[in-house]
Amino acid sequence: MALKRTNTGFNTRYTPAGDEFLFVEFDEAMSLEANLEIQEIAVRVLGEDTEGIIDICPANVSYLVRYDPDVVTFDALVQRLKKVERSVKAEGLEPFKTRVIDVPVLFNDPWTYEVLMKFRDRVQDPSKTDIEYLADVNGFGTVEDLIEAVTSAPSMATMTGFVPGILWSFQLVAFERQIQAPKYLRPRTETPERAFAVGGAYPVVYPSPSAGGYPMLGRAAAPIYDPAQRLKDFADDPAFVRTGDVLNFRSIDRAEYDRIQDEVAAGTFSYLQRPITFEPGVFFESPEPYCHHLREVLYRD
Amino acid sequence: MNDVHQIKTGIPGTFYRKPSPSEPNFIEEGASVAVGATIGLVEIMKSFHPVTADRNGVLDRFLVEHESQVAPGQDIAEIRLVN
Amino acid sequence: MIEVIEPGFATTVQDEGRPGHYRQGMAPSGAMDLASYRLGNALVGNDPGAASLELTFTGPRLRFTQAATVAVTGGDMPTFVNGREAKAWMEIDVSAGDELSFGFLRSGVRAYIAVSGGIDVPAVLGSRSTHALVGIGGFEGRKLTAGDILPTGTVRNQASSLRKLLPEHIPAFSGKVELRYVPGLFSYRLSTRGIDQFNGRTWTVTPNADRTGIRMTSTEGPLEFVDGERPFGAGSDPSNVVDAGYPVGAIQIPSGTEPIVLSRDAVTAGGYFTVGAVISADLDRLGQCPTNGTVRFVPVSIEQAAAARQASAKYLSAAIAALSH
Repeated sequence: MALKRTNTGFNTRYTPAGDEFLFVEFDEAMSLEANLEIQEIAVRVLGEDTEGIIDICPANVSYLVRYDPDVVTFDALVQRLKKVERSVKAEGLEPFKTRVIDVPVLFNDPWTYEVLMKFRDRVQDPSKTDIEYLADVNGFGTVEDLIEAVTSAPSMATMTGFVPGILWSFQLVAFERQIQAPKYLRPRTETPERAFAVGGAYPVVYPSPSAGGYPMLGRAAAPIYDPAQRLKDFADDPAFVRTGDVLNFRSIDRAEYDRIQDEVAAGTFSYLQRPITFEPGVFFESPEPYCHHLREVLYRD
Repeated sequence: MNDVHQIKTGIPGTFYRKPSPSEPNFIEEGASVAVGATIGLVEIMKSFHPVTADRNGVLDRFLVEHESQVAPGQDIAEIRLVN
Repeated sequence: MIEVIEPGFATTVQDEGRPGHYRQGMAPSGAMDLASYRLGNALVGNDPGAASLELTFTGPRLRFTQAATVAVTGGDMPTFVNGREAKAWMEIDVSAGDELSFGFLRSGVRAYIAVSGGIDVPAVLGSRSTHALVGIGGFEGRKLTAGDILPTGTVRNQASSLRKLLPEHIPAFSGKVELRYVPGLFSYRLSTRGIDQFNGRTWTVTPNADRTGIRMTSTEGPLEFVDGERPFGAGSDPSNVVDAGYPVGAIQIPSGTEPIVLSRDAVTAGGYFTVGAVISADLDRLGQCPTNGTVRFVPVSIEQAAAARQASAKYLSAAIAALSH
């Protein structure tokens, strides 16, 4: 069943972004419906008529098109993209094939702790660690309650970009259950590879060491980016996660973290993942049972 | 013989006479310098690059002030050469 | 082959860049001043797209293990062969054992060394450009260091006389730069007054400038934003937006204070608002904005941007067609 997005009254903005890029903004606020429409548009544009289009880059509630202005004009491209937008909106969001993936995370790990303690002068409350602060501002009694909230419902990858391999994801829970994470007042100059962090409403895993401004909660046990393409999950693409993937962040203990690290070192690690058909209509009607179902599919024997 | 020679910087940025705010200057005017000695730092892109003497002599005077902006090829200090 | 005796401040292998992977977070890289890079290749008779060396602020000292033809283009940097001054913007013949070195930069930021046959490092995703932030392409994914040995490609038949650029085609790099940009993206985050402030100010280029971005500053206060409640997911600062893509040349202004123009090695997305993007015809000039120089941003329409792009292409083809012997 197709899902028709409720009219938010927001008129999609098509604006130039210099003369080699075009920017399309579907909403100013985060909206999973808008994101799914953008993902669908990206798929259709790439499948139909790519003349003059160098790249199409879906983001959370907007997308960028890199085009060759010597081949197609801004105005002509806008007309083409508006046509695709109209048809996607008229047809509604159809179920689409994707994957549900188990992402093991060691929360409160020693490595992100060591780094975050170096940057207490750049956060809102230097007396707390990042995870303590997020638990606090989101009204959780304890850090464990926050971890439970982050891991009790899966997240959908809504955007890639920034640096190769990174993803933004958005938790598949009702609006009022979304976690809000204020970013650092001034960005860190260091983030360990595989740090698990939340910025705004977006859980992310940093693919490689970099600067960063998202509060860090833990560390993923396995890589999400493998430029050498050594592990089998990376055979086709050095970036593992694609937009539309459903990620189930799972809290693990140190023993399991070490076991996974050994498997990664030996080259034998692969992600637990299952193919699914994501049904927007079913999800938006009753998110909780649908997420429960997705997790059952992932963890059944 | 009393030739003078200018030490220049190749890179632009902020010039510092000391390694950190709490430490003394690398060198004071009137002191002798040897080839390779650091006389200051230029900061660009949050990294620090030494300005070094390329002649032996006495550092007569600095031509730029501590924490001033410098351009490529700018004279930083003057050395009186000694043979 | 070319032996690197001294590397210079930040010397990298660059070519036309690596388009088509923006979606995965891969910036295109490529020469910061494409026109100077392209003219270098034309001068030494290379095919377009051959890889060259891009020098930043200071040049390297290089020793050639075999005879080659080179050309130095871009920012004005005195060039020496075995200590004797040679001219920029024309072919220079070097023999086996010759040393190429450079004096202090006189204008611009970056110069290019084109070498007959090109710098023959392996192509990564279709390009030899170094993307140092990610650690791919070029020579081992990084800027050059002393002791590196650069392979060069096969040299085709060389012209018998030396090519040089006509004087009227040599670009001048000023310390006062005008960058044209097309307003758009999240420009609506600024009030009308905020936009006027942005366009009206003279910005100073800070030392925080490299291939990822060029930060500018002014002595005046933050730009004025529009008031109102922040959208869900955008963050609390008025300069934050729901994370979105950053085009090449995007002008982001964290907290409305210091504009950062994102360049060819920049991150491709993030959560700061962008007021527009510098037009393609002025990206080369961005790459030559000197530290402590000044910048004014001039808003133009998409039609004006297209005309400027055509004018740049016309200049380049005319300059290449007129290379004299």
